[in-house]
Amino acid sequence: MSDDASAYLPLSPATLHILLSLAPEDRHGYGIMQEVARQSEGQYKLGPGTLYDNLQKLMNQGMVENAPKRSDDDDPRRRYYRLTPLGRSVLAAEIGRLEGVVREAKLHLRVQSPRGAA
Amino acid sequence: MIRALYRWLLWLHPPAFRREFAGEMEWIFDEASPDGVAPLFADGVISLMRQWLLRSGQWKIAAAVFGGLVEIVAGGLGGLMFAHAQMEARMAVAPIRPPFTPAEITAMDNLMHIVIWIATGVVLMVVAVVCWVRSINGKRLHRLAAGPMR
Repeated sequence: MSDDASAYLPLSPATLHILLSLAPEDRHGYGIMQEVARQSEGQYKLGPGTLYDNLQKLMNQGMVENAPKRSDDDDPRRRYYRLTPLGRSVLAAEIGRLEGVVREAKLHLRVQSPRGAA
Repeated sequence: MIRALYRWLLWLHPPAFRREFAGEMEWIFDEASPDGVAPLFADGVISLMRQWLLRSGQWKIAAAVFGGLVEIVAGGLGGLMFAHAQMEARMAVAPIRPPFTPAEITAMDNLMHIVIWIATGVVLMVVAVVCWVRSINGKRLHRLAAGPMR
């Protein structure tokens, strides 16, 4: 499974944020947009066109799938999405990769900062 | 009025994308428009270009047909103008009357060659476009039959 997941890396920022927003619970499109804005503290805002272009790609790749509606009172235009096991493992692999990048970056910054100070 | 304009923008998207997501995008527009419509429109226009230029193969068919038409018109008109100029030049020296001179027969021959090459080009182009469209449809059918990947 990890080999399968690594084939999709690295993820684009939009894909990473969408997968991350679906990790804790199923969400509809607007919910994903709001969660992405919240996660990035308003620095990264997805438009509906970008969102659905990425969702279509993720659904074709089998990382995201349609989820059942939560209640019958929901707006009929509203659809819910959820992560598949593949989507979850790709997200985990990407987070692992980013952790490595951050570790490396911190190491280099730590090495360089005394020189910069001197 | 603004909502109708956004609906029209969604309607311009490729049919497959529109069927799948236009309803939800319209719903998001209803929800998010109080915060400002300009970013939604900008996103809609970018999405429209992305879907047609990058995600849909339709533009390639349009480009092939347009290229073919340009080739036919330019080749045909150019050939006819060339043949007409040749004939006029010869008629200025000596008016045409049967039987044709060898030079006139050669000019007619050239004209026929041009017509045959244009017809061959059109046939090849049509065959190429048909094969290409069939391969796209085949892939789509295969994807639909296989269901979601993995």
